[in-house]
Amino acid sequence: MLTKFLDTLRQRITRPLQYYQDICVRCGACIDACHFYVTSGHPAHIPAYRMMLVKKLLQQGGNGRKGLLGWYRETGMASEQMVAELRKALWECTGCRRCSVFCPFDLDTALMVNVGRYALGQEGMGMEMVAEIGNAEVSKGEIIDALKEFFVDQVRELAERIRQEWGVPDLRIPVDEPARVLYVPVVGEHAIIPLAKIFHAAKESWTLSMFTATNHSFFVGDIEKAKQAAHWIVEEARRLGVQVIAYAECGHATRTLLNFWDHWFGEELVGIQRVSVVQLVASYLQEGRIQVQPGAFDVPMTYHDPCNLGRNAGIYEEPRMLIRAVATDFQELTPNRELNWCCGGGGGMIAEPDMLEVRMKAGRPKVEQIQRTGARWVVTTCENCKTQLADLSERYGLGVEIKGAVDLIADALIVR
Amino acid sequence: MATIAFLFYYVFPYIAVAVFFGGLAYRVYRWWQKKLAPARFSLFPRPQSRLGRLLDALVDMFTLKGLLRVNPLLWAGGFIMHLGLLFVLVGHVRAFTDFYFLWKLLNWGKEQQHTFSAVAGTIAGTLFTIPLFYLLARRWSGAVKWLSVPEDFFVLLLLISIALTGFHMRLLRTVEVEELHRFFAGLASFRWQPVPESAGPAFIWHFALVQVLMVYFPFGKLSHIIGSVLSKMVARS
Ligand code: HEM
Ligand code: SF4
Ligand code: SF4
Repeated sequence: MLTKFLDTLRQRITRPLQYYQDICVRCGACIDACHFYVTSGHPAHIPAYRMMLVKKLLQQGGNGRKGLLGWYRETGMASEQMVAELRKALWECTGCRRCSVFCPFDLDTALMVNVGRYALGQEGMGMEMVAEIGNAEVSKGEIIDALKEFFVDQVRELAERIRQEWGVPDLRIPVDEPARVLYVPVVGEHAIIPLAKIFHAAKESWTLSMFTATNHSFFVGDIEKAKQAAHWIVEEARRLGVQVIAYAECGHATRTLLNFWDHWFGEELVGIQRVSVVQLVASYLQEGRIQVQPGAFDVPMTYHDPCNLGRNAGIYEEPRMLIRAVATDFQELTPNRELNWCCGGGGGMIAEPDMLEVRMKAGRPKVEQIQRTGARWVVTTCENCKTQLADLSERYGLGVEIKGAVDLIADALIVR
Repeated sequence: MATIAFLFYYVFPYIAVAVFFGGLAYRVYRWWQKKLAPARFSLFPRPQSRLGRLLDALVDMFTLKGLLRVNPLLWAGGFIMHLGLLFVLVGHVRAFTDFYFLWKLLNWGKEQQHTFSAVAGTIAGTLFTIPLFYLLARRWSGAVKWLSVPEDFFVLLLLISIALTGFHMRLLRTVEVEELHRFFAGLASFRWQPVPESAGPAFIWHFALVQVLMVYFPFGKLSHIIGSVLSKMVARS
């Protein structure tokens, strides 16, 4: 049992993972960090326990060893129950890394989980839906020429609609054109419309990517495929000679863009700056390239720090700056920033219908946090969080509206 | 029995020291054999400069300020235990040499040196020991019981045993520092000297358990003495 899992895992234990397995003192500081554990009380949801399970299996090689040493190292058989726990431990984690902030060694359970997921996939215990979307993102690049015409048509229609609704006759949505900024959206026009407006107002030289920022292979720990999918965007950026790649409000993609790309693509990125679109829009505001109506929204609102933009990429202040520019009543969640509770919907779970109940349960700390502020709008900067927060609002009857930080700016723009 | 005691006095100490340092070196060597992870796993906020990040990691390591913020009780237990341990280790310098400079500076005679050592040693030992009992009790409490494995109990009980045998010598005996110096100098120079009689029967237990700790140290979770800063630097890469 689990031989493929263990073989794969052995090859993928990197230096940090080895530190983690060796030095975790099982002090339990991470217990209260995990929204899965605090809502379920199940031991397989304790961050350190997830790691211990994997370590136990690695040590025994799938066989129970007897004797004193076996007892000491707790090498039981890889039983059905253990496999069930393992699946729970590895799939029911949002990779939020709140536990790393709590751990006195900053030990990264999410990294272990990510590698473990890939190994489970090899054993046929994967999240199929998520892996499938990931594969589609990889193969999209091969057929992009065939898709281009259709895509350009759609965007042309969209641009026409914005021009009419917004009354700005010279607004354009350039596709596949040389420009300064390459904007990489997520699926759906809601990710394009606000930016088309803002770029227009800022008189930015920009072009819309034919790809999407999302990278589902990353969720299932398949770093090779994650790299391939992202490489299409690197190629596009180089072909168009852009100076800036700006990613849409999308958590995991922003994290890979800012923290992983250096190692993935190195030299290829020379001369290309990488930012979240939130940072880009904040810089427009700071430099006075766009004007917004101060206090445009007289609604109590709060901001949810997405794990991947906050803890994992350090983008804390820019979204707050955008909100403060247009809000009259902005209240922080408690706790916030690096101690903010995860929404409970990350790690690819949104794409897996079977996981709905799991993520609704894990979102409870978030719901309580929002209720304490009395906010009517919840602003956030991650596509995953937006979907999860909307689902939570419905399930728990919160009645809040979910907004992107750039949506607020687009809706409060003063166009001359 | 006498043979075993003889081995713990005059043979095993060399092995313990060798295994301790060799083991830690081997542990680091094993870590370095693994591939580096191909990405940055930073946790934010973190300082910009490399030096700033290293300093931040070291400050956090020696103050556990991150833990203080999220779990003050565990912080108190862990921090006071480690601090007591540090003081105790400093105090053990007197087994090998003495704070001659300090005594001269303060112009203290033998009597005063002794009183000071007794008071400071007892305080340090207490700071070390009481939290150990708390950490042990915690092992059965709440969700921590799910995480507790035999190693955790072994290490805590070993440390408690070392502390208690130490207290036995401290509180029930008056150890002659000169006797200790002679004994350890003898070990260091391979010109073996008699066992310090003034320390009483607890000495052999204390000395033997410390050797067990040193031999075990590199192979279990106590390797966090080196790994903690490495792991912290991963989170600040
Ligand atoms: C620079 C050196 C060291 C650092 C930074 C360090 C740090 C830590 C931290 C952060 C914890 C977890 C939090 C806690 O339990 O309070 C811990 C636990 C522990 N440390 Fe250390 N430590 C160091 C050296 C040592 C040494 C030399 C020993 C023993 C000889 C030791 C023994 C322990 C034990 C037994 C625990 C576990 C407590 C439990 O079971 O809950 N540590 N250490
Ligand atoms: S907080 Fe860190 S060291 Fe403590 S049990 Fe959790 S993972 Fe292990
Ligand atoms: S990364 Fe988040 S979800 Fe995963 S174990 Fe840690 S706290 Fe829980």
